[in-house]
Amino acid sequence: MAAVLGVSAHYHDAAAALVVDGRIVAAMQEERFSRIKNDPSLPRRAARACLALGGIAAADLDAVVFYENPYAKLERVVVSLAREYPRSFRQFSPALGGQLGSKLWVLDQIADMLGVERRIVRFVEHHESHAACAFLCSPYADAAVLTVDGVGEAATTALWRGEGSALRCLGAIDFPHSLGLLYAAFTAYLGFEVNEGEYKVMGLAAHGQPRFREELARVLRLERDGSFTLEPKYFAHGTDTDVGFSPALETLLGPRRPPGRAFDLEADSDDRRCADVAASLQLATEEALLGLARAARERTGATALCLAGGVALNALANARLAREAGFERVFVPPAAGDAGGALGAALLGARDLGDPRPAALATAALGEPFDAGAAVDLARALGLAALPVPDASEAAAARIAAGKVVALCRGRFEFGPRALGQRSLLADATRAESRERLNRVIKQREPFRPFAPSVTAAAARAFFADAPNDMTPFMTTVCRTAPERAAALPAVVHVDGTARVQTVTAASAPDLEPILAAVGRETGVPVVLNTSLNGAGEPIVAGPVEALAFFLQHPVDALVIGDALIERSAS
Amino acid sequence: MSTRVVTLRPFVARVTNGFVWRSPLRAARLLFSFAHAEAASRVDLIVAAQLTPSPVRRALYVRHALDEARHAKVFSLRSAELRGKLGLAPLGFVRPDAEDLFERLGEVGFLAFVHRGEQRGRRQFESYREHFARAGDERMRALFDAVLVDERRHEEYTGTLLREVAGGERGARRALRAAAAWEAWRSWRRAGRALAGVAYRAAMGVLYVALAPLLLALRPALRERRRWLGPDAGGAGGGS
Repeated sequence: MAAVLGVSAHYHDAAAALVVDGRIVAAMQEERFSRIKNDPSLPRRAARACLALGGIAAADLDAVVFYENPYAKLERVVVSLAREYPRSFRQFSPALGGQLGSKLWVLDQIADMLGVERRIVRFVEHHESHAACAFLCSPYADAAVLTVDGVGEAATTALWRGEGSALRCLGAIDFPHSLGLLYAAFTAYLGFEVNEGEYKVMGLAAHGQPRFREELARVLRLERDGSFTLEPKYFAHGTDTDVGFSPALETLLGPRRPPGRAFDLEADSDDRRCADVAASLQLATEEALLGLARAARERTGATALCLAGGVALNALANARLAREAGFERVFVPPAAGDAGGALGAALLGARDLGDPRPAALATAALGEPFDAGAAVDLARALGLAALPVPDASEAAAARIAAGKVVALCRGRFEFGPRALGQRSLLADATRAESRERLNRVIKQREPFRPFAPSVTAAAARAFFADAPNDMTPFMTTVCRTAPERAAALPAVVHVDGTARVQTVTAASAPDLEPILAAVGRETGVPVVLNTSLNGAGEPIVAGPVEALAFFLQHPVDALVIGDALIERSAS
Repeated sequence: MSTRVVTLRPFVARVTNGFVWRSPLRAARLLFSFAHAEAASRVDLIVAAQLTPSPVRRALYVRHALDEARHAKVFSLRSAELRGKLGLAPLGFVRPDAEDLFERLGEVGFLAFVHRGEQRGRRQFESYREHFARAGDERMRALFDAVLVDERRHEEYTGTLLREVAGGERGARRALRAAAAWEAWRSWRRAGRALAGVAYRAAMGVLYVALAPLLLALRPALRERRRWLGPDAGGAGGGS
């Protein structure tokens, strides 16, 4: 029986996760504390919060496991620079500086950060961390596991067989052939921020036609064995990591879209071209993933598939895999990206110390609990009337049913990029104006971006085909909306008829389930629009300070903090 | 607070105003850098609000953070507007960073640091405001006027809080001196880092050239590996 802390850091989305006696106690991203989106720095406060929740001191840890091999990573960087010689001149100094100046010493830094002996700090491989996060959190005893991201040490993609607690690597695809880097390069090309704007590309794709399919086939070649290769001339991974694509891509697809320019898909033909590029990219990515998944099915014979790595956050592609790859069940964990690597590393460490595999992940609410008392005190100090209500769920539901936008802060915050009912903005899914108001006025984001619905698991099938399934509790897939229901849910159904559904049970989202039930009683439709509680460019709210700052800064109608309610009109 | 922050920046601003603001490109860059600084300040204040034990100070830091967020937005929008007039795209995304000032300096030190920053910022912005008033640029004058209202309030309340938290005028002066020393030390270290950076880049440039024969000879052996590789080849781990 052991206490193991997993750590991911130094690339993006640093996180810490604590596993005690094989049980997942806590998992949190550093950005929630530091308030810097995708914060890559060592997860000092996240680690501290995990330990506090577990009620153990750092000195009591049996192992601390970092999510990747810093030495192999350095080797890949050196090899890549050498390969690109002499075009890698610009990258040589910063890339080696980053590695030698900091990243290479990460195990010592972690020991210093926690005040533990260096000997208990070790590492596992990057893709193995991802694979463990997906497989050991899944409900499957036997599965094929695919890990697909930008790049770990050298691998960008890996195929595993998971049996019991064991993971066996069957094959890998090496840098620079990477679906993550492909998507990142196109994200930059389309004028979005890399590691942040990938969701926007996905949303934009539904507004375009894949008319650049042939061009994309020149960029990304799919092989018969399920693998893929990128055509190097369109990329600049070894020479310009800021954008990742070369001028040849602009020659192929047209000029890049300047970052920060407002979108106008109706009047601007160039924006429509960009939507077509996004649609073509999305299609190419889905087909590449399908090739990988079919190869996984063939090589493992497994009937279940687990997926992790940044690319596994592509909910559209995950839905296609579930439909077309030949697996009976598919699972993608809520923190499929690098943050999840911390949890995977902790699970591997615990397993290696003899602990049993944890129960299947039932909820993403693995963060710090919301301090409702401190929130009420702060609200008073800010001159806001925080009124206790007998039933906060009923109060929230009544306001949602009346067309109001309600911010919800209850329970432990979520692990991963999705708000799943602990730090959420909720609105009526049946009113089209909910979407417009949230997109343009409250979250101030691109008008083409969709919002997701949350629905009780019991009612899910009536509204969404394929729901519930193993991914829907964590919003890691999309489902087709039942045609007769689509018109009734204008705020949450995307232009392509899909919705990134969250199915809710009392176990998966204990604070959201009673709200959905109450909304169902009021309106007959137990569905709400659910989007993350954060301002543009900010991490999702964690505690009272950010919750109240959000309320003061954004025109939402009400804020639920624990069992108290603050209303805009009363404030 | 009777202690005045002694800094060259407002003086430099006065002297260089004509040059800096003449070019819309330079102006856009400067405004973008202000947006960045304000966004970073917002992050520091939110973290301070998380960590302070006092609900009253927490509320003040939250209000202050919201002002900084608004300033960041105003500056970045104006920067984008200036570049837009030249047919150029905005300068990109405002990515705040933070220095963990509250944890590093403690609340008294943090307040002294913020107070100094607000006083310096207020004087710098006053000089810009005067410049634009003289130049007849009403939009820019109005922009700095609007920001200055908040800057004066921030300077005032941080001064009051500092005296309160530091236990009076003497404690506050001591904290301001310590903050000034810390800032000087930080500037020294930053300068050292910048100098070391230049030396490092130069050394790496030389090394890059010197490695040419070796790297060119090795290159054929380092060809990319394509398609599926065996379990031990890809660095994905051999499994466990």
